[in-house]
Parts: sequence; structure tokens; C-alpha cells
Amino acid sequence: MIEQHGTLSKTLVRTQAALALFVLLWLGGLDFFFPSHFSLQAGVHGLSTISAMVAATFLTHRAYHLIRGVHINMRSLRYWALAATVLNFFGAVSGNWVYMRYRGEGGAKDWILAHAPSFHNVMMEFKEFVSLFPFPLMLAVTFVLFYYGDALATRRDLLSFVGLLMLIAWLFLLLGFVSGLTLAKLHFL
Amino acid sequence: MNNIPVYSGPIIAATLAPLLGFYTLMVTHHVSRISKPLEQLIHSYGHWIPGSLGSGPLGSTGSYSGKEALALLVWLVSWAVFHSLWRKQDLSVEAWLPIFSGGLVIVSLGFIHPVVDPVIGLIRDMLGV
Repeated sequence: MIEQHGTLSKTLVRTQAALALFVLLWLGGLDFFFPSHFSLQAGVHGLSTISAMVAATFLTHRAYHLIRGVHINMRSLRYWALAATVLNFFGAVSGNWVYMRYRGEGGAKDWILAHAPSFHNVMMEFKEFVSLFPFPLMLAVTFVLFYYGDALATRRDLLSFVGLLMLIAWLFLLLGFVSGLTLAKLHFL
Repeated sequence: MNNIPVYSGPIIAATLAPLLGFYTLMVTHHVSRISKPLEQLIHSYGHWIPGSLGSGPLGSTGSYSGKEALALLVWLVSWAVFHSLWRKQDLSVEAWLPIFSGGLVIVSLGFIHPVVDPVIGLIRDMLGV
């Protein structure tokens, strides 16, 4: 009976996570169908940043284990960190692609400067730079996990630092994500 | 997977390098705001990046590409240098942590214009630029 409950809860947890990911991806995925000549850029950036956000959020659960010094599957962690790094890279590259149109003729920047200038002069000027932070931080995490291998588990201070790095990368990703969504709500590409 | 002796040097090199890259972004951003020729100079370092030049509806990333290119250069070169210097050294993570965290807070504030612009104004007055 207990075994059945364990299987049921595991199935429910995985179903909930898969459904949440699927529905959240609509946030960016539906951009492909928006009435704009630049819906491709918006859709690609939306999907890559939401995927990066989900992967980084998942990693924060592992980060607390590292900080507490609880034993975790390091092999699985290495590959999740690598996946999060790749997704952050796509997010940054597609961000450059979107930024081109943002600054383009008749783009969001012109409209925002004319109607709500602080959102460009303060929020966008902050967002365009801090959005570049998660990729190198997550790459540092991935590098460290692969470089030290399982021997990392022998150094509690380094494990805690890696966990903290994951949380910091997640925070900058969240800052960029929320400010990006806010700007997109003000004016679509 | 190699179970090499665990020195802290490589993790400190891997985290100092991006911090230096972030500071490069901040410095180049504020330098580019001083004058058009300085902005063009910084932009010129990023001309090799696709999308850095152009106009019309598709636009371009402009001088942002130069800031990215210079930050990328500082990040990767400093990482290689510090890693080779410290790969067999055990540096204090405890001492590095507040410097790293504080450095991140300061560089983040450096991108919030209402916060940093008065400081930039003071520096420009002192340097006479």
C-alpha cells in the first residue's frame, strides 16, 4: 500500500512538472503566432529564456542540498548544470537578436522612449547587462563540476560555494526574465 | 572523471573571471556615454558580431556588441591566466566569498542609472571629461 502511494506521488510530481513546463512554454511559444514581422525572434527568445528559467529553478533545489552538505547524485547534477548553461547561452544569443529589433526603426525602444521613458532608461539599461550574467556564472558551475569530478564532494566549502553560485545565477536570470516580460508587455516586437 | 587533488584555486579563477567581465561591461557602458567618438570606438570592437551593424526595422545591437566583445575578451583571457596561475593553489574560499558577493552587488548597482549616475558625474568632474 505504502509502495503504491510512493509510485503515485512520484507520478503526480512528474506529471505536474511536465504540465507546468508545457503551459509555461506557451508564454513564449505563442509569440510565434503574434501579428508581427518579428514573431520568430520573439518566439525563439521566449522559448529559450523560459526553458533556461525552468532548468535553473530546478537546479536551485539541488543547490540547497549542496549548501547543506547533503549527498546528491553528482553525475546527474553535472548534466543538469550543462543543460542549464546551454539554455542560458541560447537565451543570451537570442536576446541579442531580439535587441536588434528592439532598437530598430519603429521598434519598442522608440515607443517606450516616447511614452514611458523610464522603462528604457532605467529598466532596459539594467536588464540588457544583467541578463548576460547567468551564462558565465552557470558555465563556471558546470566547469567546476566537471573539472573536480566526484572529488568535489570532499570539500564542503567548495560544494557550498557551487550551490551559492547556482542561486546567484538563478537570481540574475529571474531579474532579466521579469524585466524582459515587463518590456514585452509595454510593447511587443 | 579524474579525481584530481581538490585545490580551490580553479573555482576562484572561474568566478573572478566573469566578475571582471561584468566590470568590463559596466566601465565600457559608462565610457560609451561620454561622447560619440568613444561610443564608436567601443562599437568597433564588436563589428565582428553578427547584427552589430545595420539600420532599418531590423536594427542592430550597436555599441552593445563592442561592450560584449570586450567583456568576453577580459572574461576568457583572465580565466585562462588565473586558472594556470592558481590551479595547484589552495586559496581561501571564505575570504573570497564576501569579495565576490560584494563585487556582484556593486556591479549590479552600476547598471541602475538613477543610483550610479551621480557617482559617474563625480568621476567625470574629477577627471575633467
